Amino acid sequence: MNVEEALKDAMAAQVAGVHASPSLGQAVRRGNRRHIVRFRVAGAAVLTAAVAVGVPVALTARPDTVPAGGSLVGAGAGDQGAAAGSTAASGDAVATPGGVVPDLTGKNAKEVDAILKEAGYTVRITKIVTDQAPAGTVFGQMPQPGTAAPAGAAVTIIIATTAGPTPAPSEGTEDPGMPQDLGDLGDGRTLGGVHVGYLPEGLEWGKWSGKDGFGKRSYTTSWAEPGLEPGMYSVQMIVYRKGAVSRLTKRMQSYAAQGATAIEIGGRKAYLVSVSEGGDRVMDGGTRTIVWTLAPGVGAEVMISPDYAAKIGADAADRELKKIAAGATLDK
Amino acid sequence: MTEEDEAAFDEFLAARSTALLRTAILVCGASESDAEDMVQNALEKVYRHWPRIRHDNPEAYARRVVVNGAISKARRRKVLQEITFAHPPETPVESPDLGLRDVLVAELRKLPARMRAVLVLRYWEDLSEAETAALLGCSVGTVKSQAARGLARVRARMENLQGVSA
Repeated sequence: MNVEEALKDAMAAQVAGVHASPSLGQAVRRGNRRHIVRFRVAGAAVLTAAVAVGVPVALTARPDTVPAGGSLVGAGAGDQGAAAGSTAASGDAVATPGGVVPDLTGKNAKEVDAILKEAGYTVRITKIVTDQAPAGTVFGQMPQPGTAAPAGAAVTIIIATTAGPTPAPSEGTEDPGMPQDLGDLGDGRTLGGVHVGYLPEGLEWGKWSGKDGFGKRSYTTSWAEPGLEPGMYSVQMIVYRKGAVSRLTKRMQSYAAQGATAIEIGGRKAYLVSVSEGGDRVMDGGTRTIVWTLAPGVGAEVMISPDYAAKIGADAADRELKKIAAGATLDK
Repeated sequence: MTEEDEAAFDEFLAARSTALLRTAILVCGASESDAEDMVQNALEKVYRHWPRIRHDNPEAYARRVVVNGAISKARRRKVLQEITFAHPPETPVESPDLGLRDVLVAELRKLPARMRAVLVLRYWEDLSEAETAALLGCSVGTVKSQAARGLARVRARMENLQGVSA
C-alpha cells in the first residue's frame, strides 16, 4: 500500500462513524436567532467564540441517559415555569431521548448550576464583565435552549459579573463548582490561585475567565492588545489544578519524549514549544506556548497568539513567555 | 425563500452535510462537536444566500467556508475555550500498539493546518491540484509542494513504523 492509499484509508477509518445530525437543518435555520445574541454579546466586548457555539452537543441517545435527561425537562417545566421548547412543555407526555437543555438566561447562576448538575450535565463556567445583565445571572449559554443533549454533555453558562474588586476566595472553604470560586475578576491578574506578576506592556485584560474547560479545576483568561476583535487574544493563560494537572503533566512528558529541551523557570522544569490546536508539539506553524509546574499539583500554560508573536518578533515572543512564567506566583 | 428553495436546501443537507462534517474533522483535527459547530456556521452562510447560489455549486461554496474556517481555527488566534482531543484524554497519545491508521492520523494532526488541508482535499476529497488551489486561494505550485512535504512526513512515519514491526 503506498502512502496516498494508506493515508486515505486512515482518514476514512477516522471519520467512518461520523454522521451529521438529522436536526442540522433545524439548527441552521435557528441560527438566524443566534446572530442577534452574538451581536449583543459582542457589543459588550467579550468572547464571541463562547456565544457562537450553538451546536447540539451530541445527539446519540443512549438508553441510560434517558431518565436523567427526562428529569431535567420536568424540572424546567415545573420549577422554573419556562420549559425549553414549547413541544417539551407538557413534560411526561413527551419522551425526550437524551434530554433537552433548558433556557437558563436571566436565572441566578447558583440555581442554574444546581439544576444542570442534577440533570447530569457537566457544567462549565465562563464569566464576563458586562453591565447588560445583573451580576450573578446567566447572560448566555451553550448549547442553546432546546438543544438535545445527553446527560454528561458539557453545558457552558456565561455569567455576568461586575469589574469591581471581588473578595479574595478562601481556598479551604470554597464550595467546589460554585461560580464564586473563580474569584478572579478584580483585575484579571489572579486566576486559579495564581497571580500573574508580569505581562507584556500595552496588553489589556480580556474581561472574561473560564473554568473547567481544560479539565476539572482548570481556569483560563486572556489579555489582548486594545482594538482586537472580541474573542481574539494576544496572551492566554491556563492554570491547572487538582484533576486537571494530570493532563498537563502528560503533555509535558510527551514533549520531553519528542526531544523538546527543558528550560528552567524559578527552579522548575518548563517547556517552550510550538503547539497545535490539539496540544501536540509541532515543528513549524503552531502557537508558541510555555508549560510548567509552579508547585506540586499546580500547572500553568501560557500561549502567545501567532498574530501577536509575528508583530513583536519570534525572539521577543519567547522572551515575553519566559518573563510571564517567571513572574507568576502562587497567590497566598 | 420559496418552499421549493427550502426543500432543495433540505435535499442538499441530506446529501452533503455528513461529508462536510467529515472533512471539517479531518482538516482541523478537532473533536466532532467543534467540527459540527464549524459546519453549522458554514451552512448558515449557505442558507442565507441559498436562492442565489443553489444552482451554482453550493457544495464547493460550503466546502470552502468549512475548510478555511478549520484552518484558521487550527491557527489558534482565537481564545481557546477547551482543548480539543480527538481521542479521549485518558488514551495515551502514542502507545506502541496503535495501529497504522491511528499513527497516520496522529501524524496528520501534527502537520501545519494548511498542509493538512491540502492532504485532506487531495487524498480524501479526491480534488485535483487545480481545484484544491482554487479552494485554498493559493497557486497550484503551492499545492504541489505542500502535498509533497506532507506526504514525505507521513511516509517517513509509516516506514519507520513498518521497519520496527518487520
